[in-house]
Amino acid sequence: MPIGVYVCHCGLNIAGVLNMEELKSFAEKLPDVAVARDLQFSCSDVGQEQIQNDIAQLKLDRVVVAACSPRLHEPTFRRAIAKAGLNPYMLEMANIREQCSWVHMEQPAMATEKAKDLIAMAVAKATLLRPLEPESIPVSKNVLVVGGGVAGIAAALDLGDCGLHVFLVERRPTIGGYMALLTDVFPTNDCSICVLGPKMSEVYNHPDITLITYAEVLGVEGSVGNFTVSGVRKARYVDEKLCKGCISECADVCPVEVPSEYDFAIGKRKAIYIPYPQAVPLVACVDPKACIGCARCVEACPAHAVKLDQEPQDFKLNVGAIIVATGWQPFDATRKEEYGFGRYRDVITTLQMERMLNASGPTKGEVVRPSTGKIAERVAFLQCVGSRDSSVGNLYCSRICCMASLKNAQLVKEKYPQTDITIYYIDIRACGEGYEEFYVRAQKLGINFVRSRVSCIEEVEGELFLIFEDTQTGEMKRVKHDLAVLSVGLEPDSKADVLGNLLGLSRRPDGFFEIAHPKMRPVEAHIDGVFIAGCASGPKEIPISIAQGSAAAAKAVKLLHKGVLELEPTSAYVDPEKCIKCKLCVDICPKKAIAVKSPAYVDEAACKGCGSCAAACPVDAINMRFFSDEQIMAQVRAATEVKREFPLIVAFLCNWCSYGAADLAGTARIQYPTNARNIRVMCSARVDPSFILEALSRGADGVLIAGCRIGECHYRDGNYQALQRVNVLKGVLEKIGLDPGRVKIVWCAASEGEIYAKDLRDFIGELKAMGPIGTELKKERAEEKNGETALP
Amino acid sequence: MPGDEPFKQEVLRLAGPEVLTCIQCGTCSASCPTANLMNPSIRRLIKLCLEGKKEEALHNETLWLCTSCLLCTVRCPRGIRPKAVVSALKDIAERTGLQGKDAAYEKFFLEQIKDYGRIAELALTAKFLLVFPQGVVQSMQMGLELLPRGKIGLEIEKIKGRDEVKRIIEELWKE
Ligand SMILES: Cc1cc2nc3c(=O)[nH]c(=O)nc-3n(C[C@H](O)[C@H](O)[C@H](O)COP(=O)(O)OP(=O)(O)OC[C@H]3O[C@@H](n4cnc5c(N)ncnc54)[C@H](O)[C@@H]3O)c2cc1C
Ligand code: SF4
Ligand code: SF4
Repeated sequence: MPIGVYVCHCGLNIAGVLNMEELKSFAEKLPDVAVARDLQFSCSDVGQEQIQNDIAQLKLDRVVVAACSPRLHEPTFRRAIAKAGLNPYMLEMANIREQCSWVHMEQPAMATEKAKDLIAMAVAKATLLRPLEPESIPVSKNVLVVGGGVAGIAAALDLGDCGLHVFLVERRPTIGGYMALLTDVFPTNDCSICVLGPKMSEVYNHPDITLITYAEVLGVEGSVGNFTVSGVRKARYVDEKLCKGCISECADVCPVEVPSEYDFAIGKRKAIYIPYPQAVPLVACVDPKACIGCARCVEACPAHAVKLDQEPQDFKLNVGAIIVATGWQPFDATRKEEYGFGRYRDVITTLQMERMLNASGPTKGEVVRPSTGKIAERVAFLQCVGSRDSSVGNLYCSRICCMASLKNAQLVKEKYPQTDITIYYIDIRACGEGYEEFYVRAQKLGINFVRSRVSCIEEVEGELFLIFEDTQTGEMKRVKHDLAVLSVGLEPDSKADVLGNLLGLSRRPDGFFEIAHPKMRPVEAHIDGVFIAGCASGPKEIPISIAQGSAAAAKAVKLLHKGVLELEPTSAYVDPEKCIKCKLCVDICPKKAIAVKSPAYVDEAACKGCGSCAAACPVDAINMRFFSDEQIMAQVRAATEVKREFPLIVAFLCNWCSYGAADLAGTARIQYPTNARNIRVMCSARVDPSFILEALSRGADGVLIAGCRIGECHYRDGNYQALQRVNVLKGVLEKIGLDPGRVKIVWCAASEGEIYAKDLRDFIGELKAMGPIGTELKKERAEEKNGETALP
Repeated sequence: MPGDEPFKQEVLRLAGPEVLTCIQCGTCSASCPTANLMNPSIRRLIKLCLEGKKEEALHNETLWLCTSCLLCTVRCPRGIRPKAVVSALKDIAERTGLQGKDAAYEKFFLEQIKDYGRIAELALTAKFLLVFPQGVVQSMQMGLELLPRGKIGLEIEKIKGRDEVKRIIEELWKE
């Protein structure tokens, strides 16, 4: 296996510090090296041509370039060797610029020694490289959107208009979500259903959207590009094709009346009902829990649409991507007992207020006290009910409820200028475009604001009393109101984990679905091909929900529009002979790419190559196509072949953050000692304890593992796994008499070059204090001996 | 004037670091059954601690009016235990030699048990009011209401086996 090694001068960037002649002749003598050259600029056309010529003439089958960071020019050299007919994965780079010449400018001799190790490590890894073929798989151009609220509607319409086919699955009998139930909407107070209604009809009539309402997703298999989704359409007991949506005929004869969930129990509906007049599809639905089976509706319907013997129907869909837009649910106000919701009739929620204010709602737009039916005269809004409240487990701010109360207060005041309205708040959060102006508008309308969190509500002889401390004056107060409106927060849908588990989505501590990166990837899930939009990933207002729906649609289009998907050949694979079916890997994989049937199997389309499974497998049955166990071991051995300095540190850096931080330290010319020999891995979780033990047993004085900052892992929680393994290993070291401090794990973001350098300096200091590896063993033995001789 | 940082840290150590997260919403004060007698309010008391205002936080009636009903603690939206702040302040007050009313009362209470095996409300209250005369008018009013109803006795009753009780209490004090 003839290897070519190219040591790059990079002008004076490298050659100004390192001794190029010495490095070249060192490389020449390494096993399997057929040629070693130093090049002025290896990435230039001239440099690339030299490499290509050597491949042709010397029949090189792998190439090592010792130059800058692979994060910079690996793609360049892969393309170059591919042009010369080599497989692009037969390349290895030694980072002797960012992680050597630029950071050791004052120690040229030691830096040259370190560079020798880095080159030897790269050559050792290169001998074990294998050609890899990127695979491309055909993908489905259908997209599943789960949830037909405003976010799901926005996604479906954009996707349909791009020519992808959409299946929109909605759990309720109508799409529209909560927005369809609101009265006017902030910050402009336009009528909610007037702007949403046309979009709902557009979905219904779109040739590229299949609407599946009153349905539930029950199973998801496959991975990005090719998901198979199964589900069931519940029985409506009404034939969708025959129903004309008149509702008057059937509902008029229905003898059963129940509180309507679409009016939050302020109004009533029949057992056969249409949720609200603008529902889409405009088809009646029988509530099986309320229906007494009298069949009067069957007879009354002139279109013969009511079918009380209708059965649920299964469906199966093939889709390439899935958008989760399952929204939110209101906080259950009965949980705050001190406010008496559910006991005192005149304590209501903002959602009930929205319905009362709605001209087509249960009170036809009148704001009344439920206990008397009379117009309310002294209205109180209580903010942060179920939000910012650790006593109910919700620490987060629901973000929209301040604005919702400001809106409702304005609407009430405009309709009944005499009403006395007070908003009790901790902080008014009105941060959005035009929102503060909206707050000012409410103040100018004469709405009262009291900075206080109400402690409790008492009802005495039909009157409500709010008890609170006005925190601006320090007075304790007990104030009478005749309607108290609880500004309830937004909680994750209580059944969200059913879908979450099917898809393998993770949830944040607040219970909402977690996105892949809190800033950079706002609508992507951790699972490839799955996107999240709207309130499913946390409370947000309508404009942002729509923006996220559209963003998710764009991501799905980008993924599927070509009809094929290129897969990086860096995945994990299982040796079926070795697998003992312990299923450890299944739970550990952040991408849910592993299934254990008989034996474990890795879905290579879903695998992102982090390697945590390979490190976790107790019998080494999993290996990686790239960054394989053997390759990393070879690097460790080469790093410890000759011990050129004390302390000698073998360092494992994750590709995304800490390797980036080490590169940045170089770009910023931050100077630090030469002791570390860095090995790049995809994730800190890739570091198998056996790598660490190998390094220490071969004479490394310490091992450093650096990952992304906690909570910022690019896969999900790889750094936690690494931390756990290191902690276990420290215990083992202690047992065998080694100082557990010889293994250190640190976190640095890609922007933290200074922190990486500091961590390394600290570690060097700690190791110096410990002495060379084994010092502690000798000491222990000496102590034992002393102990023995001291005995009589 | 900069706050007394060691004092603030001591309160946090005793009452928990979550005290730092107080948003001054007033739920605690408004939940407190004796709030109308308190000055500063429980909410203000927490602010005083966070500002390191040791003197103001320790020298007030609020501490001694807390009935430990824990409503503040149940309702605080930040998971703070305002009652624990009160306890911390009482603790510090006693340690710094400020005669705590609770401690004084406990001492008189036990002394009576030791000597007579029983409590005599009148004698106990009288002794207490000699040391803390601020509440004398209030107490007298209450006493005048209770006396005719037979709720308090004028004489000190004694029990049998007083020596035993005395021994037990002295034993305890030794520890
Ligand atoms: C009182 C109040 C007033 C508000 N006023 C305003 C306002 O004036 N302006 C403003 O901008 N915002 C307002 N909002 C916020 C607004 O309601 C949300 O921004 C909006 O509803 C978010 O839409 P969504 O599509 O994400 O979620 P949702 O509206 O919750 O829609 C989600 C949909 O998914 C369906 N679904 C859930 N789970 C499943 C499943 N497993 N399978 C299939 N379907 C499922 C649900 O049935 C629902 O139809 C207000 C909120 C409240 C509480
Ligand atoms: S938006 Fe306002 S009412 Fe809602 S939780 Fe946040 S601060 Fe409280
Ligand atoms: S209830 Fe809690 S957060 Fe509110 S003022 Fe009291 S201690 Fe602070």
